[in-house]
Amino acid sequence: MLGGVSRPESEDRTPTFGLLLGLIVTLSAVVAYSAYITFQISGLRKVQTELVDRNRKDSLQLLRIQNDLNLLAVAMRDMIDNDEHYPLTAWSAQFERIRTDLDDAMRREEGLAATSRTPDQRAYLGREMTQFWDAVDRVFALARDGKEKAAREQIQLSLQARQAALSTAVARLLVQNSESEEQAGQRIVQIYNRVQWQVYVFLAATLAAILLTGLSLIRWIRHLFARMAKLSEQRSELAQKLIATQESTLLYISRELHDEFGQILTAMGSMLGRAGSHAPEGSPLRADLQEVRQIAQETLDRVRTLSQALHPVMLDEAGLESALDWYIPTVERQTGITLCYEKQGEPFPVGGSAGVHIYRVLQEALNNVTRHSGTTRAAVRLRYRPTALELEVEDHGVGFSENFPRKGIGLVAMRERAELMGGQIAFSRPTAGGTLVCLTVPREKAESNGKEDHSPAGG
Amino acid sequence: MGLAWLSEWPLLKVLASVSDTPHPGFKFVDVTEQAGIQFQHNSGAYGGKLLPETLGSGCAFLDYDRDGWQDVLLVNGMDWPGHKQRHSTLRLYHNNRNGTFTDVTSRAGLDVELYGMGVAVGDYNNDGFPDILITCVGQNRLFRNTGKRTFVDVTNASGLGKREGFSTSALWIDYDRDGLLDLFICNYVKWSPEHDVFCSLDGKHKSYCTPEAYRGQTCWLFHNRGNGTFEDVTATSGIFDSSSKSLGVAMLDDDHDGWPDLLVANDTQPNKLYRNQRNGTFKDIAVEAGLAFSSEGKARAGMGVDAADFKNSGAAGVAITNFDNEMIGLYQASGKGFEDIAAQTGVGLASKNSLGFGCVFLDADLDGWLDLAVANGHIDETVRNIRGNVGYAQPPQLFLNRNGVFRDVAAEIGGGFDQPKVGRGLAYADFDRDGDLDLLLTTNDGPAYLYRNEQRSGNSIIRFRLVGTKSNRDAIGANLRVFHGGASQSRMVKGGSSYLSQSELPVTFGLERRDRIDRVVLDWPGGRTEEYRNLAAGRCYECVEGKGISPQDGF
Repeated sequence: MLGGVSRPESEDRTPTFGLLLGLIVTLSAVVAYSAYITFQISGLRKVQTELVDRNRKDSLQLLRIQNDLNLLAVAMRDMIDNDEHYPLTAWSAQFERIRTDLDDAMRREEGLAATSRTPDQRAYLGREMTQFWDAVDRVFALARDGKEKAAREQIQLSLQARQAALSTAVARLLVQNSESEEQAGQRIVQIYNRVQWQVYVFLAATLAAILLTGLSLIRWIRHLFARMAKLSEQRSELAQKLIATQESTLLYISRELHDEFGQILTAMGSMLGRAGSHAPEGSPLRADLQEVRQIAQETLDRVRTLSQALHPVMLDEAGLESALDWYIPTVERQTGITLCYEKQGEPFPVGGSAGVHIYRVLQEALNNVTRHSGTTRAAVRLRYRPTALELEVEDHGVGFSENFPRKGIGLVAMRERAELMGGQIAFSRPTAGGTLVCLTVPREKAESNGKEDHSPAGG
Repeated sequence: MGLAWLSEWPLLKVLASVSDTPHPGFKFVDVTEQAGIQFQHNSGAYGGKLLPETLGSGCAFLDYDRDGWQDVLLVNGMDWPGHKQRHSTLRLYHNNRNGTFTDVTSRAGLDVELYGMGVAVGDYNNDGFPDILITCVGQNRLFRNTGKRTFVDVTNASGLGKREGFSTSALWIDYDRDGLLDLFICNYVKWSPEHDVFCSLDGKHKSYCTPEAYRGQTCWLFHNRGNGTFEDVTATSGIFDSSSKSLGVAMLDDDHDGWPDLLVANDTQPNKLYRNQRNGTFKDIAVEAGLAFSSEGKARAGMGVDAADFKNSGAAGVAITNFDNEMIGLYQASGKGFEDIAAQTGVGLASKNSLGFGCVFLDADLDGWLDLAVANGHIDETVRNIRGNVGYAQPPQLFLNRNGVFRDVAAEIGGGFDQPKVGRGLAYADFDRDGDLDLLLTTNDGPAYLYRNEQRSGNSIIRFRLVGTKSNRDAIGANLRVFHGGASQSRMVKGGSSYLSQSELPVTFGLERRDRIDRVVLDWPGGRTEEYRNLAAGRCYECVEGKGISPQDGF
């Protein structure tokens, strides 16, 4: 049936491959970008935790050490001032308290110290601290031995200087921490800037990919629609050609039957009549001839009926209305179905080709009623509207869905005929069940159709 | 509340709030004038803005004549040398047992001019009569009670003389459990009028300095030799700390070993928790215990301090008053140490804008839960110019403890208690012997206030007055636990606490509606434990160590 349609060309290939490719590329881009972002964030976290946080915690411990060193400085000043009236040994508990805190702070600080610190720097603080406490122990040993003066001198000569050196060292480390924190801050800013730039690039690339995919999809869909329209047109043309061929064939056969065989049979009948009159009255020959003449007459009648059925001459000669007036009782008679035929409105003449189409639609509809509906009653309504002609065939049989051949050629032909007339045909199910076929043909089409193109058999 | 819209009207709002919250169940009546206490604190301020002017002074309840009625002692400052205009001394008011007091200062031999700060009352010679230590700017004074309603200055004889300082709070404590009260004295900073530092807010006029401007001064611990003299054991006991700037001290048994520990509130320096090592020495464990700093790790401006079992858990919690913009530190014992619960109990926010000094735990409404009273007041008259929401005079607060939630009811209990004052010292006692606890509050450069507690709750009370025989006679350090209906409460007999002040030594338990207690367990400081069962409420019991318990007529 679609033999006339050209084979699909290369441009008509499905876009599945392209779309899949696009999807894979997009997903890969997202995965790659996610991996990149994860990498950047982990780098950021590393900088944050390993450098900044660690640095801050380290600075806190350094401040704690600095505070303890200050407490020691104040205590030593009090010891030298000697205005407490207490022996120097009184301070040992205070020193011990500070030492406990200092040791704890030193231990924590060592665990937090930045990796950038040189081994020399690392060792220096611990070494100096040990020497300081050695000196403290010596001072308290002197004090315990009652050598308060010597102990005070030791504080001034050794302890205070060592405390100052320690304090300076810690201050230097604090400055160093602050500097490396600043550097880390700059690195973080750089990472943020880079990531921001990459986000823009990724966004632009993604947008471009989406745009390209969208455009190609639109192009492909448009092409698909064009092809579908073309196919539909071709199909319609084909159907119309088929209908036209059918009509012309039927008309031809009908005329041949009526004109040629009708005349032959009429001639045969009259010749047999004449031959019979020459035979002796009551002779078997006369009887035979009479019988053959009878058969010829019956054949003539049948040929005429067949001719009428194939293409009712009445349509061409008396119009649609008369054809229906004749056709409907004929169907009743032939099929035994009771048809309730109604006509409404002011009749107007219906053109030749439109008449044929309407007649064929009615024929097909009644054919369906007879063959599929399983009911013995149906209604036919012909309505002359001011703007259109309507034909309805309604039965309350089994309806479409069950037995009706939905995709039968008959329905296709009905639709095509409706389209040929510029009309519409609708198939529906009335509330009482069954089938309602409703054909609507615009009045001007019904009147004019075929005036120019007098007959589908014109070809 | 279908009538919620009514709360749009201010008057109805007040009425609604009154009906919503339970009435405290008691009222305060300002009976200062009626009682005949006419006291005016003299800070000596003449415009020189000398540091000690801002800090005094304290007060105490004591039964100096042993008549069973609590008398009142109010510490005073004096005019600075070179600016003398007035004669001002501390004041001793004798309780006339009818709601009035008589000024017996001169008669008692206490009409001595000194720049007094705080007071600690304790019977250091176990003669049954409480002796008085007055901490001073300069030389502290120890007044021995002769037992004949007079006192003699035994400062030099006792070995406490020739020792100048800026002493603040003090308390009597038998730290070595030898039955003799020893003496702990807080010192603030190294200060003398000649070495006063010039501080200024505007760059021109002198103002009061913060303690950062001065060097700290160690607290002192004096061991009672038992012969009327004291030995300075500050250095050997491990108490010595030249960085401390101490204002308040309280005793508690932090580790429940029967040996008293000491908690010292320091101003801008870490607080100290000296744990008794049971060998005559102490070890500071404040940092480990979580009391040294605020939960942010900051050394706050600790002023007053008290320790008591306000959770009825058997373990003492702690309250430390701090500067304005610093909450009161309210700590509960939590297994390993202390946990600051000020914020979640409602005390934190309510104390954020006040500068607290005196603070005492007392069961003001006798519901069996210790409440917290706080005296507030700033040190700088011009504070309003700098911080609009903080005044120089500030309302005292009384936080009622209801199941661990504290609510300030100062404005609901009347008596003008919530009128702003420049509060400093704070102490409680049942001076009228009606069973409930009355409050004494001192102000800087102002009057003292005596508030009588008038109960309306109908809650019952049981009181205990302890007399040590083997232990120190005041039974300071004794621990009492009462058990009733599955619940229990505990209290310690203690001096000191609060700020520069001392409350009465008898112990009061509020019992809500119970008419008796199942039992009371007494842990004497000497180590002896006694238990008495089934005691009727509504009276005071005198417990003599090793000799049993005897109910008194009334309280």
